[in-house]
Amino acid sequence: MPPSQAALVSLSPAELSYLRSTLLQVPPIRLDHTKGPKDFRSMRAEYDVLPGANGSARIALEDGLEALVGVKAEVEKSQWRPTPAGRASRLSVAAGDVEMKDGDEEDDGQGKGQVSWVEMSVEIPGFRDDDALPVFLASMLTESLLSSGELKDRLYINSRFHWKLYIDILLLSPALSYPLALLSMTTHLALLTSRLPALKSEKDEDPLFDDDWDASVPLYPKEKGKGTGSKPVDRPPVIVLAMAIGQNIIFDPCKEELAVADAVLAIACSSSKTSSTGSRIISIRTIDPPSHLTPPGVPNSMNSATGGVAPASSADALTQRELLATSGVWTPPRGGMKRGLIGQVVKMVVETGGVAEEVIDALQAIEVG
Amino acid sequence: MPLDTSIYPLALLRLDGRRWNELRRIHAQVSVQAAADGSSYLEMGNTRVICVVLGPAEGKDKGQRGAREGEAKVGVEIAVAGFSGMERRRRVGNKRTSEMQHCLSTAFSSLLFTHLYPHSTISISIHILSQDGSLLAACLNAATLALIDAGIPMSDYLTACTVASSASSSSSDTATSDPLLDLNGLEEQELPFLTIGAVGEKVSVLMLETRVRMERVEGMLAVGVEGCKRVRAILDGVVRTYEKKFG
Repeated sequence: MPPSQAALVSLSPAELSYLRSTLLQVPPIRLDHTKGPKDFRSMRAEYDVLPGANGSARIALEDGLEALVGVKAEVEKSQWRPTPAGRASRLSVAAGDVEMKDGDEEDDGQGKGQVSWVEMSVEIPGFRDDDALPVFLASMLTESLLSSGELKDRLYINSRFHWKLYIDILLLSPALSYPLALLSMTTHLALLTSRLPALKSEKDEDPLFDDDWDASVPLYPKEKGKGTGSKPVDRPPVIVLAMAIGQNIIFDPCKEELAVADAVLAIACSSSKTSSTGSRIISIRTIDPPSHLTPPGVPNSMNSATGGVAPASSADALTQRELLATSGVWTPPRGGMKRGLIGQVVKMVVETGGVAEEVIDALQAIEVG
Repeated sequence: MPLDTSIYPLALLRLDGRRWNELRRIHAQVSVQAAADGSSYLEMGNTRVICVVLGPAEGKDKGQRGAREGEAKVGVEIAVAGFSGMERRRRVGNKRTSEMQHCLSTAFSSLLFTHLYPHSTISISIHILSQDGSLLAACLNAATLALIDAGIPMSDYLTACTVASSASSSSSDTATSDPLLDLNGLEEQELPFLTIGAVGEKVSVLMLETRVRMERVEGMLAVGVEGCKRVRAILDGVVRTYEKKFG
């Protein structure tokens, strides 16, 4: 995916080279030197901030990046679509062979949800709706949200009606660094705290809802009982951003760190279903880091002003740069990420007590506490 | 649907239980966002607004770096969030927001000391998160707070509120026609109202979009100016407590 224009930083080649060399240390010295490679930026989060939405959340990071998400659900008429089971029952009715079905089977919307029932929009100041950045961010977030299929099935009311879920994401501050991780965390919190009115009507009646908000059901149902541990059964996914530089892996990079990254990965993960610890990967995407667009430095040996010899042709310049790649003069990184490194990132994310579990549990703790 | 006008004369209480001259709860915060030069968050009842001020800085677009010779340009952008109303809507009311933008921009161009910042732009961007009446008034109040937070000199607070005339325009009995202060969304739909913005005692913004009887306007203005004074006291309190905490 293309890098965003907004993520460009104005650092000189010398500054970029310095920043890279500090990040290459073992352990890496980050721009905020109090942070280790796995540390996230501190944040202030709150939920239920809007009176007129089914769920909402606002997260502000320490560097001023701030996002607000509002979730709104509306009842919509479903288009009738023939299903194999439905057609079979119709045929048998036509043949005069009326069969009573079990009511339970029909009422849970297992596999009946549709992708179009969730609509997401991302608004970033300074960007139009149809610019590449908001569109990519929205599609990445929707993709990970719908991957499990459980959310869209929960929007099923009966064969004629369903909930339509609108998720509106606003970035309130200018896009200082790549905002994907922040938007995903805010969406996670908003969805986790979203509630839908309780249904009073039965089966295929026109839906009638309980007007008592205290009786409403959470969009992501929680396990009943067990006292304090009211963990939701299923939780929305969260996307973490990881960046590789040399052999080092750094999570939640800031704008300047992204400007010297070798490669950037966006990893969507959700809590694991089988065990109570650890998490599972939903998708991995590479993101073209803004470092690819930084201007290269000119080494002394290629600069006629400092006693070097300027290369005669551009091909010549390329070979000379190739030889000088390790000399400390800044050259924009090329190529991707080694498989071993990707494996390492994935392991750090999904393992028990890994980054993903930590983030998901932290967001859960906001709601509980 | 004369919902309010039929009930009001009986108990002299409005739909949400307020008297004629009571404001809704106003809650405000300044400096809510670290990345901006100035920012504020304002709640007037269920109307919620976030305002972010960037600048004074060199304008981004070529050709309009500063407005007129020797004065800063005040640019206003209002974004209405899709989830702000009762029903979710995409891109709400373009005409209405552009009118509000123009209103804010002219009001603050005359209020701020723009001559101190030649060839620069002060951009105010407002996000409307939830709307329940008095939208323009909330935008004006939030922008005032954010501009104060940004440290841009101005002569006084510009505070705003709405006033309605309680009796419908056709009824003739003047005894029960109190002006009502600070309307919520339902009242705004039913009653003729005006939005008034005042700097000190002077009226600086006045917007009247509905028909109202001539003789009622004076009373409405008087109540409005009084309401603006009270809003000013509240906003002043917000700024001063912030100063004490972090100043």
